[in-house]
Amino acid sequence: MMDRKAKMKTAGLVLVILLTIAGGLKVGSFLPVIGAHETPANIYLSNYYIENAIQHTHAANIVTAVLADYRGFDTLFETCVLFLSGVGTLMVLFSKAKVKRRLPKFRKTESHSETGEMISEFTQRGSYSSGILDASFRIIMPIVMIYAIYVLFHGELSLGGGFQAGALLACAYLMDRISPSFESRMGEIKEENMLIVAGLGTFLYAFTGILPMFFGGNFLEYAKLPFCALVHGGVAGLHAAGILMIEIGVTVCVMAVIMTILEVVLERTDFDDD
Amino acid sequence: MPVILLEGMLLIALISIAVSIIFERKLLACTVIYCAFSFLAMLLYIVVGAADVAFTEAVIGTISTVYFVIAIKSINRRCK
Repeated sequence: MMDRKAKMKTAGLVLVILLTIAGGLKVGSFLPVIGAHETPANIYLSNYYIENAIQHTHAANIVTAVLADYRGFDTLFETCVLFLSGVGTLMVLFSKAKVKRRLPKFRKTESHSETGEMISEFTQRGSYSSGILDASFRIIMPIVMIYAIYVLFHGELSLGGGFQAGALLACAYLMDRISPSFESRMGEIKEENMLIVAGLGTFLYAFTGILPMFFGGNFLEYAKLPFCALVHGGVAGLHAAGILMIEIGVTVCVMAVIMTILEVVLERTDFDDD
Repeated sequence: MPVILLEGMLLIALISIAVSIIFERKLLACTVIYCAFSFLAMLLYIVVGAADVAFTEAVIGTISTVYFVIAIKSINRRCK
């Protein structure tokens, strides 16, 4: 009886999925082709950006102009939302009662043979440890970090930018944090401190926005930033400096929030399988 | 024409992966399938021409997979 009920349930699920796919395909046939020229989104706005973006903003390219100038507010509040998600995670999962921070547990090995010691070196933190992971993380981690810095500083001209750089830096920390060996660790970072760093990153973005207002500009008007003596290249140079500042802010915020959530979740997890 | 073919293949693969996640009972297997979904979505973004989005998807897909694995570890421990 139960078996038949389960079968009916599965059949109903399959039917719902098929109907959804069919409906989606039907609706999709009414939509315009991706990137078509005659769609409403591409007739007015795209042409406006293509014709005016460089003169208006002095950005290096149109994508940067749209992301950092025309939609600067959007990016600012995305960063705020990210910061708030970190705050929310910490509020829900952080337990004050836990006094002892969970350091990596080293299992006391009682093997006396050389082979046993060699194996126990690799399996100190439970059954998930692996020498291959350790060795490959050691090689990949510095490269990932250097690539993150490249993405951050080159974000104005090419792919990437603040979000991606922050995620890559957090990825390097994540590799280090879940890596089994003790020697490669950067050390324990308290999640509440990381959240303060995330807030500082968000503040740097907002500060870069407010700073031109003291010098006669609008919010996020990079051309009015008071760094004329520091950068060369006139307005374009100031624009690049402003974008670098907000991207550093975004990078710090993203990195710190991901690290906060990771630390909070790891606090709740003990990787010992005993 | 080959681009549309590639796009269609990727879309069919994405749909079948998404359906297979529903019918998978093991949580860890679900996470691994989700990782494959993320990777194929990244390929689709590249085919469509959004390299920037593909880059973000690659990084965030990796990080979220690790998060899911950690969360599953935590669940197992609490349910024993």
